[in-house]
Amino acid sequence: MSKEWLICGAGIMTLASALMVVLSSNAIYSAIGLLISLFGLSALYLLWGSAFLSVIQVLIYAGAIVVLFVFVVMLLDMSRVVQTGKGPGWFTTLLVTGTGWIFSLFLLRALNRGNFAGAIEHKALGSISVLSKILFREYLWPFEVLSVFLLAVVISAYCLARPESLDNSGSDGVSIKGPKGGRS
Amino acid sequence: MISYEASWLSWTHYTAIALFGIGLVGFLLRRNAIVVLMCVELMLNAVNLIFLEVAVRTQTHDGILFIIFVVTVAAAEAAIGLAILLNLYRKQGSLELNLFRMLQG
Amino acid sequence: MSAVEFSINTLKIFLLWFSIVNVVPVMLWVERRAAGLIQDRPGPNRVGPFGLFQAIADVIKFFWKMDPVPKHVNRFLFLIAPILSLIPASLTLAALPFADKMVIWGREYQLQVSDLHVGILYMLAIGSLGAYGILFGGWASNNKYSLLGALRASAQMISYEIPLGLAACGAVLFFGTFSLRGMVFMQDGTLFGGLLPKWGIFFQPLGFLIFFITSLAETNRVPFDLPETEGELVAGFHTEYGSMKFAMFMMAEYMNLATMSGLMTAMYFGGWHIPYVSDATLLSWLGGSVNLLAIVQLGVFFFKLYTFLLIYVWIRWTLPRFRFDQLMRVAWKNLIPLSMINLIVTAILLYFWEMR
Repeated sequence: MSKEWLICGAGIMTLASALMVVLSSNAIYSAIGLLISLFGLSALYLLWGSAFLSVIQVLIYAGAIVVLFVFVVMLLDMSRVVQTGKGPGWFTTLLVTGTGWIFSLFLLRALNRGNFAGAIEHKALGSISVLSKILFREYLWPFEVLSVFLLAVVISAYCLARPESLDNSGSDGVSIKGPKGGRS
Repeated sequence: MISYEASWLSWTHYTAIALFGIGLVGFLLRRNAIVVLMCVELMLNAVNLIFLEVAVRTQTHDGILFIIFVVTVAAAEAAIGLAILLNLYRKQGSLELNLFRMLQG
Repeated sequence: MSAVEFSINTLKIFLLWFSIVNVVPVMLWVERRAAGLIQDRPGPNRVGPFGLFQAIADVIKFFWKMDPVPKHVNRFLFLIAPILSLIPASLTLAALPFADKMVIWGREYQLQVSDLHVGILYMLAIGSLGAYGILFGGWASNNKYSLLGALRASAQMISYEIPLGLAACGAVLFFGTFSLRGMVFMQDGTLFGGLLPKWGIFFQPLGFLIFFITSLAETNRVPFDLPETEGELVAGFHTEYGSMKFAMFMMAEYMNLATMSGLMTAMYFGGWHIPYVSDATLLSWLGGSVNLLAIVQLGVFFFKLYTFLLIYVWIRWTLPRFRFDQLMRVAWKNLIPLSMINLIVTAILLYFWEMR
């Protein structure tokens, strides 16, 4: 019984901190909200019997992705970010929220079919040996495609991080002055 | 063997839907580009939760493998997205999405 | 679970945690005495014999100092940052296998908080959360040196997590399990007819080397202590911290160090096993008493752990610091390709070994 209340608690934690992401005006608190939300999801994975997923969630999301977000927020000095002063108006807010809500209801209708009465007995999914067997046999092709995708991401991240070495074709990062003496 | 009432699986389902809704609203309403990216992450996580529910309900491992793929793509998306944002900040000195009108002519 | 079992388990968890927390005062003394030894000066020698009570004096000093919070800081983040770095450091201990098991009133108790079947992944995951304490601490201090230290720390920790994980993957592939306890059990016995103990390092020498170097970087030790370079950044991310809050950062650092040492002991140096003496032989020497065996194993484990800590101290007072671009180059251009090669070679060799 207590485990089931834990599911409830983890869900509420996830949703409350997700609200914090959306509502807080400071981006650093948004990042903290995202972090707590991911921990809630990790707890949900654990409670539904997949320890591997829950650890992966913490390792990749909390340990790498959110650190990147926090890193960028700190790097950019949010207090200097120009405020346009034009927030979304009441009408837009209502419209978007209503649309989101109705969309969610449609999703609920579409996905929540079938009868779910009675208790669900299930094995602990996500035993690593079983997962890896499926991953490297049935899902080998998507896995390889994903590796090519990651390679493309690495290359594009490199290009994005060094725009000046792409703008001019000078070697060794030596900047070549344009005809007007300045670089674009 | 783990045994729960099915209503708790439905509760997980509602959590996922609500999480997706919150992420969607934040994605559409917020003007700070970094927060928008965070909302995308929230939506991806909501989808992951649905995949988990599918895996539990059908007693197969496919849902869990999908989660692994989605997490990988999300990591790549965050890295590239943040790199683009850094470049935009360097050009414009701001992260307000209203100000990015370079393609409007 | 009965009340007795619950209380024994609670006591066990507390004692294991306490044994690692006690690394902090011991290391405070060891580090300063070793520094004295290496630099040819006495080091702290006034409080007690050999200055042994210096650590206690330090702890009392930390408690009694004034605890200021500067006006210009982000108060909430400033206060939770030391806690955020101490909690992951404590949590990682949960998967360390200290010794085999004890039998108390006919019930078995593993001398490990929990034998997780995702043990190594758990430790890497929780260990990676230590970056938040440093990041928030540096940012909330509202001081450019602190911020620079925090940014360096986060970039460094993210970069070095990759070779750390890949090196650990090699060991996982070799042992065929993620559970640290399972790994230690597989290292019982000898190789080549009694020539070498059957330890992980003899199968994964390159993996161990990479793991060791990366563990230095992950715990922000010299030669990778760029986040707190005293010559450039005053004290890095904890410039604005004093008293117990600073002590918490330091505790977290030393506990991380102890955890990394424990991890290397369990993965590459046979955990609680004495070389050339198998568990069964030792048990017969001790008259078949499982509890005595567990105590001997604890002693062996902590001996190995403290040996690693001494090596860390030795490196700290020997090697100069890297420059930041050198640090990044080492991670991305040397360690990551090397650890990938290690992984691939391990996989190929294992494949042919299984075929045989």
